[in-house]
Amino acid sequence: MPSDQYHDPFEDRLTAALRDSGDGFDADVAALTAGGEVRGRRARLLRRTAVLSGAAGIALAGLGGVLLVPGGDSSGPRSTAAAGPAASTGPAASASAPAAASFSGDDLLRSLKDLLPAPGKFREESARGTGGDLPPHAHLVYDDGGGAAAIGLGLRRVEPGSQEVRELTRCPDRTFVDYDDCTSARLPDGSLLMLFQGYEYPDRREDTKWWNAELVTAEGAHVSLSEWNAPAQKGAEVSRAEPPLSVEDLRKVVTADVWRRVVDAIPERPGRSATGTPQAPPRAVPGGSIGATLTELLPDGLTVVGRGGQESEYAYLVVDDGRGRSLVQINVQPGMGDVAGQLHGDAETLPDGTLVTTRKGPGEKGAEGVVMWTADTMRPDGFRVVVTAFNTGAQHQDATRDAPALTVGQLREIALSPKWRALR
Amino acid sequence: MRQRRADEYAEFAAARAGHLYRSACLLTAGDTHLAEDLVQETFGRLYVRWGRVSRVGNPAAYAQTVLTRTFLAHQRRRSSRERATDVFPDLPGAADGDAPLRLTLMAALARLPAKDRAVIVLRYWEDRSVEQTADVLNVSSAAVRTRCVRALGRLRELLGEDLAEYSRP
Repeated sequence: MPSDQYHDPFEDRLTAALRDSGDGFDADVAALTAGGEVRGRRARLLRRTAVLSGAAGIALAGLGGVLLVPGGDSSGPRSTAAAGPAASTGPAASASAPAAASFSGDDLLRSLKDLLPAPGKFREESARGTGGDLPPHAHLVYDDGGGAAAIGLGLRRVEPGSQEVRELTRCPDRTFVDYDDCTSARLPDGSLLMLFQGYEYPDRREDTKWWNAELVTAEGAHVSLSEWNAPAQKGAEVSRAEPPLSVEDLRKVVTADVWRRVVDAIPERPGRSATGTPQAPPRAVPGGSIGATLTELLPDGLTVVGRGGQESEYAYLVVDDGRGRSLVQINVQPGMGDVAGQLHGDAETLPDGTLVTTRKGPGEKGAEGVVMWTADTMRPDGFRVVVTAFNTGAQHQDATRDAPALTVGQLREIALSPKWRALR
Repeated sequence: MRQRRADEYAEFAAARAGHLYRSACLLTAGDTHLAEDLVQETFGRLYVRWGRVSRVGNPAAYAQTVLTRTFLAHQRRRSSRERATDVFPDLPGAADGDAPLRLTLMAALARLPAKDRAVIVLRYWEDRSVEQTADVLNVSSAAVRTRCVRALGRLRELLGEDLAEYSRP
């Protein structure tokens, strides 16, 4: 294809220019590696599997909110402090409850204090509400008489069912992290909860203990609660043998209904997480629609035995007509008009101006006997749909059949379907 | 065992940080703050998976893949529809003292859609093949070629003359 078929001196110049310019960026290696390690350590703690099958030991205090109140909280004002209607009607409420207008940082601090198991003294309070670009959080130092301890809470929205959620709630691998205990379970309302008791420094160079609860609800509210047996996460002397909240306390606090309402109140526009970590992409996954549409457009007699793809441009199916697997992939790319000439130099032009090229050629990944058949189309406005089929179920695997399961004519018909346009 | 792995990781991170950061600077078209953020995020992910990563044949390439995908995820989050940036924000890397070529190049990269930029960085900075680039981006080789052609075309328009000094005799 164009960029491979001839050598372009501009490419050499670009390579040299990139090298020159790139080499001019000086990295602060120490800051990068230290920052990476901090994130990694945190992520690892957040990473736990939904191993849950048996771990139902975690008897869930009520996720509807009503049962939470006994979690040591005798003061009534929690519901008012948290503002908004308490979801007192059971698990469904969190899904259907109207989002509260907003929660201030003080609201969060008040709710957190109310949920703590025993009265105590507070200092170093800081918090951010739901109004800003960054996710809400609350932090304070709590002393129940047994020693000052830092407590931190973070709230954000995640994509339910995503890989990220699985990682957040998966207990870390003990071959990497030394910790005392960790459980991960699915709660009756579908939330995932991980309770972790470990150390701020996995290498135990200091004795600071870090206990942590990570909750992700079925609706995608992520509540992260941490506590230490020191007044600061790092750089403070240990003030007590263990953090002040027991694992049971942690569970009660993290599952409190108020936090779900706070997450509901976070504006929909996803912002950066507190650590600047890129979050999961927004919910619409047009790649899924591309795969679904491709499935609809398949000729009869084909069974879909595998599928995948990503984002808005690409999907693939593995189909089988009874004579072996055949990979079918599709690209849907708007705005490609500027390369029409290069892609469709010898194309047929349909009455509506659409360009169509079909090709039969060898596979691209060097596997034995693989052929790829392609129908490449471009509408007059640059909307390109390319459908390719292989005589193997995976491009890097040797051919499993003589020809792809679809003819070039069928590929062409799929590529020209008006349904692709409807996806945009 | 654990300590050995931790040491390995630390050694790897220290050795690769500079290169990853430079890649990230190109991916972000000179936004050095975002580049730092992306590299730290990449290291965070590698740290978590180090046991597996260290067993794959080429952890450096794997790190580059993670960086690229992290960058693209970040871009997707910023904008649900990919488009070239006509007005690019202040570039922290583009201080007055920077070489003019770098400024010009970063400005041109900034005008490419994120994925096109990723293709350019992988192909011409990382020296990956079309197929390797396709694997990193999880798209087909055909899509990489198309993007590459398009991105080169735009860069040629934007930079043609400015890169003349790199002409080889």
